[in-house]
Amino acid sequence: MLKISGLLMVASTYLFLYVPIVVLLVFSFNLEAFPSPWKGFTLKWYYELMHAPYLWKAFGNSLIVASFSTAISLTSGISLIFYATQGGRVGKFLALFYANLVIPETILAVSLLGFFSLFSIPLGLTTLVLAHTVLGLGFVVPILYARFVELDPKLTEASLVLGATSIQTFFKIILPMLLPTIVTTGLLVFIISFDDFVLSYFTAGSSTQTLSLYILSMIRSGVSPMVNALSAVLLFLSSLLVLIYFSLKTRTRIV
Amino acid sequence: MKSKTTLPFMIGIPALIWQALFFYIPLLITFFSSLLHFTEEGLFLGFTLEKMALFINPIYEKVWFSSFCLALSNALICLIIAYPLAYFLAFTGKRFKNILLFLLIVPFWTNFLLHVYAWFFVLEKEGFLNIFLKSIGAINEPIHFLNSLFSIMVMMVYYYLPFMVLPIYFALERFDHRLIEASHDLGARPLQTFRRIMLPLTLNGVRAGFLLVYIPSFAEFVIPELMGGDKQMFMGSVVSHYILGEKTASLGAAFTVISSLILLISALFFYWLLGYLFKPRKSNA
Repeated sequence: MLKISGLLMVASTYLFLYVPIVVLLVFSFNLEAFPSPWKGFTLKWYYELMHAPYLWKAFGNSLIVASFSTAISLTSGISLIFYATQGGRVGKFLALFYANLVIPETILAVSLLGFFSLFSIPLGLTTLVLAHTVLGLGFVVPILYARFVELDPKLTEASLVLGATSIQTFFKIILPMLLPTIVTTGLLVFIISFDDFVLSYFTAGSSTQTLSLYILSMIRSGVSPMVNALSAVLLFLSSLLVLIYFSLKTRTRIV
Repeated sequence: MKSKTTLPFMIGIPALIWQALFFYIPLLITFFSSLLHFTEEGLFLGFTLEKMALFINPIYEKVWFSSFCLALSNALICLIIAYPLAYFLAFTGKRFKNILLFLLIVPFWTNFLLHVYAWFFVLEKEGFLNIFLKSIGAINEPIHFLNSLFSIMVMMVYYYLPFMVLPIYFALERFDHRLIEASHDLGARPLQTFRRIMLPLTLNGVRAGFLLVYIPSFAEFVIPELMGGDKQMFMGSVVSHYILGEKTASLGAAFTVISSLILLISALFFYWLLGYLFKPRKSNA
């Protein structure tokens, strides 16, 4: 009895999660725009999607911002771990990075906007990268450091005893062992930046659009089946990323 | 010799500088700009609490109260749905565990505005839900689901659910299932086992999930705007209104500071409360 009610509960939760997505996908193939009922199968919205230059410009901007912020936050995070291996006491700085998850994004975004306008930094791709990197650091530093602390210290000791310098030990022992975590964290930060809305909304300025901002303007201007087609493409892409993430089977947390 | 000892520090420091420059300094600027008093020409006049005092008024108290209610009810609903789901994922759904986790994370990793958009198709007057309810004969006239508290709530729970499920799932996954058997063998009823063994041991997961949902929900402004038609005012919408408005940025800063304080204090209270409630106690079952 308990088992059946549990199954029902799980099934209805997944229905709740997937009914909107399925409806959305079905309407991306409908001949006429919503709220018209099913009129017939078409791929014309996908064709239209391929020929929407502004959308692909926004898509490109999002890719640029996500790539740069992932690269910068990973590099500086790894450098911080390097400092830790050379005897730096990184643990005491760690709490500084937890705050990124505790302060709501809206408040950080608003503060960054004030900061940029105070120093007259023009809003655009640069400010987006600056802001998104802060978001990335909040994930990269705690996750990498937690994994670094879990590493078996015997391996490092063995490497040092066998005559490797501490820098060699870092590059030949510690970095390879951290690699799966680095890749999965990178994926996580990339997707968070790529999908981010709140920080982009405040720090993009009026001339730069990311994909999220473009989607918002499309939603505000009304329903268009092209957004449905875009959703299908993005769902496919994120499924691929999640599969990669899963296949790397590490103990990295997703939240 | 000196350069050799400071080199690792020089390599390690960019993350710290970045964090200070683009996280802590902006937050401090917001804090101080809400306190400083300038003339029209930008001359510094001194400190003032005037801007803060402007917001001690029933209109804004109502805004904070609705944000608080929205965030709290969202976190509670998510918790009620997430705990059994996480339990199922961790213990029961062995064969389907990976596919279920996959299905949970895919929407979570897809742009959330698309989900807002997807819900339009379900909640519209001629949307899926109305058609479905009509076809089973539950209603005759379509219901207006959109632009209501109901549609805001649905969307909030939909978006924030994975933030609650995943931390609880990770806590349960580390949980030794033999403890349940032991508790059962020692004569505890299922409810007692749950209350005294499982809840205390998954406290950290629940706490993390609760805060991951509660904190951003409090400051949420996109979902109320898109799903609620701006009928209801929440903290996030007021902040964005002031900050993006002409010459109201420092007022916005004052509002942000007070809101952050309310948020921080309430979050700490819930952090404590969950610990208190989940503590194993002998007196009740």
